[in-house]
Amino acid sequence: MFHYQFDWGIVTSGKYFEWLLSGLYTTVQLSAVSIVLAFLLGLIIAMMRMSRVLPVRWFAYGYLEFFRNTPLLVQMFFWYFGSYKLLPEAVNDVLAQTNFEFTAAVIALTIYTSAFIAEDIRSGVRSIPKEQMEAARSSGFSYIRAMQYVVLPQAIRITIPPLINQFLNLTKNSSLAMTIGVAELTYQARQVESYTFRGYEAFTAATLVYLALSLFITGLVNLYNKMVLMRMRGE
Amino acid sequence: MDPWLDFTVIRNNLTYFFIGSYPHGNLGGVALTLYLAVTSCVISFVGGLILGLLSVSRHRAIRYPTLAVINTVRGVPLLMVIFWMYFLLPSLLGHPVPESRTVIAALALFTSAYMAEIVRAGVEGIPRGQTEAALATGLRPWQALVYVVLPQGLRNMLPSFVNQFVSLIKDTSLAYIVGVSELTQVATQVNNRSMVHPTEIFFFIAAVYFIICFTFTSISRRLESRLAWRKSI
Amino acid sequence: MTKLANLLLAIVILAALSTAAIAAGDTLAEIKRKGVLVAGVKDSLPPFGYIDEQTRRIVGYDVDFARAIADKLGVKLELKPVSSASRIPQLMERHIDIIVATTSNTPQRQQQIDFSYAYFFTVQKFLVKKGTVKSLADLEGKKIGTAKGSDSEQNASEALPSATILSFDDYPQAFLALQQGKIFAVTTDEAILAGIRQKAPNKEKFEIPDFQISDEAYGIAMRKGDSALRDFVNKTLLEMEASGQAKEIFEKWFGPQSATPMSRAFSITADK
Repeated sequence: MFHYQFDWGIVTSGKYFEWLLSGLYTTVQLSAVSIVLAFLLGLIIAMMRMSRVLPVRWFAYGYLEFFRNTPLLVQMFFWYFGSYKLLPEAVNDVLAQTNFEFTAAVIALTIYTSAFIAEDIRSGVRSIPKEQMEAARSSGFSYIRAMQYVVLPQAIRITIPPLINQFLNLTKNSSLAMTIGVAELTYQARQVESYTFRGYEAFTAATLVYLALSLFITGLVNLYNKMVLMRMRGE
Repeated sequence: MDPWLDFTVIRNNLTYFFIGSYPHGNLGGVALTLYLAVTSCVISFVGGLILGLLSVSRHRAIRYPTLAVINTVRGVPLLMVIFWMYFLLPSLLGHPVPESRTVIAALALFTSAYMAEIVRAGVEGIPRGQTEAALATGLRPWQALVYVVLPQGLRNMLPSFVNQFVSLIKDTSLAYIVGVSELTQVATQVNNRSMVHPTEIFFFIAAVYFIICFTFTSISRRLESRLAWRKSI
Repeated sequence: MTKLANLLLAIVILAALSTAAIAAGDTLAEIKRKGVLVAGVKDSLPPFGYIDEQTRRIVGYDVDFARAIADKLGVKLELKPVSSASRIPQLMERHIDIIVATTSNTPQRQQQIDFSYAYFFTVQKFLVKKGTVKSLADLEGKKIGTAKGSDSEQNASEALPSATILSFDDYPQAFLALQQGKIFAVTTDEAILAGIRQKAPNKEKFEIPDFQISDEAYGIAMRKGDSALRDFVNKTLLEMEASGQAKEIFEKWFGPQSATPMSRAFSITADK
């Protein structure tokens, strides 16, 4: 059944090792940039979703529902191939000079994940008792300032576990960028496979790297949680 | 590119988008997307239930390996799981496996791990007193779990299950990578042939996915509020 | 005693050989038993293999060759869409019996799979925006699109080490990126490039400059050691050439009336 000669040397040194390494580098870069942007955008959308201005709230609602309920892969194709007709010529020319595969992947990952993050932040905010907001307002804070200094910091602390989960998902989802030609880890693993016909070795290496990345992110969170909790107890 | 957006390409290929080459050929498009989602949902419901219950077992020898499997699967991208199935299944079974089955197996395994977490959270959410009461009436621990805890837990899990089904529908788009002619693959074929309508084509299929997924998201939300109402009385 | 040992050894070797022969060489018998030939073909690469808008079925030059072989075998033809990256794994995993999907015969691939005599000849060229490229040197350091797992990908990275090779799932996607100015050129076999250019609505904006980086001969690919099937396919190809059927198929897809007119500067022979 398993008459297959493994050759691990192929993925632990030499040219193919370098390919995988550069893939890992791109994956980390892509994920890190998108995580930061997705968090910021998610925060904005969450605020808009809770705004008292009706059109703003509706826009945020539409945004959330649309991007959460369509596949990331389709969104990626849309930004890479489909955005061309929607943008002015000048913008397209500028974009074409950049590493557009990478940019499109960042846009897709950011928008897709921001919708989930916004929803997580919103439920975090809703779990903060209304009285806190009222107390802050009556002591002279504006709505925005009350949000910024009183409600959000607490909400985000509550939201951290689901947020980390979203960051993890984003890192895993970044593998879809291979379909638009971003040479990230999965893309490189597949390249190694098609050049050497050694799928088992290439995919084992990539899988282990993804697992390590996941563990690393989870570990960071645990560390952060512990530090925050310790500081809270110290006070 | 005279007319700015030109949706005739959608109209000309509408049948293809919905049923693929059927009836002269294989079923494809939206129909295949739904088939993949429903089949893997049923399998992963069972898989998730089993994994979830094993993961709350009192025996470490059962609990730890189960948790290891669940967390490994959750730690890698779905795309990797699909590639693994693609290579492993034929060698394990000793005969070729059609790509659609490969994808179903990958989706089912991947989703089972997520379903298992839902089951675990659901079971752990039931107050311990319930189990203790059940044990006091002479039930064995597994009987207490299956007859007392699980039925209550399942009701609470229902909205999460529906959400997971929505993820599954979106995840079927990855079948494109191994050439299964579901909606995304069919759209790429049409896009590759027409070449100048990517905006229209990808917007159209995004809208189709949205309608399907949003329907289920709304159902899940309604279930959730009904449950909350039930709990409040 | 030694005699007996030798005899046993001979039996073992013979048995091993015959099971090996059955394991590898019975695809032909298996196809006849099933009554179906499963061929891997491209599904978005006119004129070799693409979905016809009216009938929603795969048609093309490759498809006609697959059909001719199935007819000769007296079995039904089942078409399976494959990509450049997936076709060889699909064959190895026995998802398909043969590949008729613009597969170039290369020494590297021969280590994995067997090829029939070549049924199509072409050269690898570049498709670019008109007036941007005169010679290979103009492509140095540029972004060039092609398909994952293709022979074109490997040729291009050898011919243009300084260029960035960007691999898409298939050539039309690379062409779309070219149209939108995201890449500088698309490279693959001339016949494929011509087919893609022909299908483009603004084809006058693109050209295929007159230089090449390799010669390509497409073969029908089978699993290694499937000699009975390979002999059958080879015999069929030669018969098709002799009867004029091969030329007819060429004329249908590349003749003067076709969308991609080309002259047939080759014939199917047993020496290539």
